Amino acid sequence: MKNIDQHNVNQKKEFETVGSISSSKDVVMSVKDCNVFYGENQALKNINLEVGKSEVIALIGPSGCGKSTFLRCLNRLNDTIDSCRVTGEFSLEGEDIYSGDMDVVLLRARVGMVFQKPNPFPKSIYENVAYGPKIHGITSSKRELDELVDLSLDRAGLLEEVKDRIHSPGTSLSGGQQQRLCIARAIAIKPDVILMDEPCSALDPIATEKIEGLINELKENYAIVMVTHSMSQAARVSQRAAYFHLGDLIEVGDTKKIFEDPEHELTKNYIHGRTG
Amino acid sequence: MNKSSITEIVNKNLKTRYKKEARFQRYGQFSIFVAIIFLVIFFTSIISKGYTAFNQAEIRLNVNLDYEYIDPDRTGNIEEIRYGDFDGIVYEAFYKLFPKVKSRADKRELRELLSSGAGIKIQRLVIEDISLIGSQIDLWLPLDDEVDMLLKGNIDVDLPESSRRISDSQINFIKQLQEQKIIENKFNTTLFTSGDSRESEQAGILGALVGSALMLSITFMIAFPLGVAAAIYLEEFAPKNRFIDFIEVNINNLAAVPSIIYGLLGLAVFINYLGMPRSAPLVGGLVLALMTFPVVIIASRASLQSVPPSIRDAALGVGASKIQTIFDHILPLALPGILTGSIIGMARALGESAPLIMIGMVAFVVDIPSSPLDSSAALPVQVYLWADSPERGFVEKTSAAIMVLLTFLLLMNSLAIWLRNKYEIKW
Ligand SMILES: Nc1ncnc2c1ncn2[C@@H]1O[C@H](COP(=O)(O)OP(=O)(O)OP(=O)(O)O)[C@@H](O)[C@H]1O
Ligand SMILES: [Mg+2]
Repeated sequence: MKNIDQHNVNQKKEFETVGSISSSKDVVMSVKDCNVFYGENQALKNINLEVGKSEVIALIGPSGCGKSTFLRCLNRLNDTIDSCRVTGEFSLEGEDIYSGDMDVVLLRARVGMVFQKPNPFPKSIYENVAYGPKIHGITSSKRELDELVDLSLDRAGLLEEVKDRIHSPGTSLSGGQQQRLCIARAIAIKPDVILMDEPCSALDPIATEKIEGLINELKENYAIVMVTHSMSQAARVSQRAAYFHLGDLIEVGDTKKIFEDPEHELTKNYIHGRTG
Repeated sequence: MNKSSITEIVNKNLKTRYKKEARFQRYGQFSIFVAIIFLVIFFTSIISKGYTAFNQAEIRLNVNLDYEYIDPDRTGNIEEIRYGDFDGIVYEAFYKLFPKVKSRADKRELRELLSSGAGIKIQRLVIEDISLIGSQIDLWLPLDDEVDMLLKGNIDVDLPESSRRISDSQINFIKQLQEQKIIENKFNTTLFTSGDSRESEQAGILGALVGSALMLSITFMIAFPLGVAAAIYLEEFAPKNRFIDFIEVNINNLAAVPSIIYGLLGLAVFINYLGMPRSAPLVGGLVLALMTFPVVIIASRASLQSVPPSIRDAALGVGASKIQTIFDHILPLALPGILTGSIIGMARALGESAPLIMIGMVAFVVDIPSSPLDSSAALPVQVYLWADSPERGFVEKTSAAIMVLLTFLLLMNSLAIWLRNKYEIKW
């Protein structure tokens, strides 16, 4: 155990990376010294990252490196896992996310999430999208709610396909349709930050294009943190990219720079499809 | 390894694999076969013993509702009429069928052939409609249970007279009545409309049925909400610590505690300490609720645990509070399982007799309870009481009571399946 700890420390020094962004942009979310443990296992080590307004930041890295874990820290969804322990400083527009003053319900209304595996409620398509606005009281009338549901479905590129069966169960949709339904559900509550965990992994190129268009559109007003395994997608939609490796944040910077001239050997190998 | 050799290897294994599968299927079929055999034996034995209880030997008598017997002072007052000599009316009509019988001993033998329920039946008729007094009507009246048994072939007439409860001359009388074709097997309504009785031909199951139904509703109203609430707390809110583990172990233990101990607890707490009435469905319901409570908790927790965590994430992810997540998403998905588990727990409670015996529900109660505070019988205890009776007539009554109990259980379990299908959410 001691040995491994020692090893980790060495590694950390070597990989120390600060994900700060140039001060001209305003920071929406910032994470300092984030460590996450599942029981004895450390899943994330000393992560420092900032998310700016009107930007898409792509999280890339091999499977199991802790990307989903990191996303779930940002809306405190890891709180629901008993074995999970999170340390570090997290703030959303200057407010401490993990402090007692932060209401977790409010936090999750402001930080929306699309999950890696589509997880629609076993209710109708309409109910899936309307649930968030309903519990938060975003709309004041049934008509307004209907409009919001339609708009959200449309932006997620699903309305055309489901408008005749909006009251049939959301779980009866195909995998890709379910994923778009989850996106519609997330954007219906108009969050400040949207966390997307591989939103296009189950989608065909056309639907993917639609979602990428949506992301481009959304980033005007929102900050988006997106996990993706597609390098080309990261290059297309993100302004900045962060490379994770075995729980470490190896490198973060402008997407263009990361792809064209990565500083770190590991990043280079990953981007060029070589295993280090 | 080339392709053809893989095919060979797989082919070689294939046979044994399929054999294994077929063997396993046969084991399964055999087990089901055994279960069915036992079920068939069980049902045939109960039904063959019990179906006759739904019929009862009756005699058609032409009774004279004479003022002399019913209301000699012609008061017209119901309270007076209630105490009229209705047995006298029955006897008079019965003696008329046997004009040759004169001696007191023979007359007594004749009287023994009739059920004391005959007089009661006339009394009820007259009280309902006083204008009948003074008229002469044909009525079907119940015969004594020994006659009933004789006619159903349950009494061996070849036995020496001293070892049966019906004498040679009585058998002779019956024969004469049969020749006149005024004895018949009629549907036994008494079985479903009255409470217990010392006379088997007058004993009914209604008191026990109502008692059991009252008890179960109390059990459900207490054990279900409390059990579900406890399960939700333990699953969703309770901190994971030693104390909660300790509680969990205890709940599992409680579910396995012999039911008689709950009876003792009920006796000590509800009756002796809180002074609740003995033999009352209220106490029975409370005791059964205590017994069912841990079962409901365990079933509900298992059901809550089986809700996929992704649904929880989805709800929390859009900003639902804990309680909204539970009531809007988790509980609807868990409900079918919770209901099924709880109803099975209740069905077990319905068949429980030991704790009810401890709280005095084994008492002989004739009246049908009209509130949970009245003394009452319960179905399983009624079975126990009747099975314990020496009279022949109660043998078939016991089986009939078991059939009623089984029907009740069947209804509950069907309800469980219906509820499960109704609330099941299709994915
Ligand atoms: N609930 C959990 N309990 C214990 N360990 C977990 C849990 N969730 C994730 N882990 C561990 O944390 C590490 C990071 O997992 P994570 O899901 O964040 O990876 P990921 O980068 O999202 O991978 P992928 O690209 O395959 O989705 C893994 O080693 C995983 O085994
Ligand atoms: Mg992941």
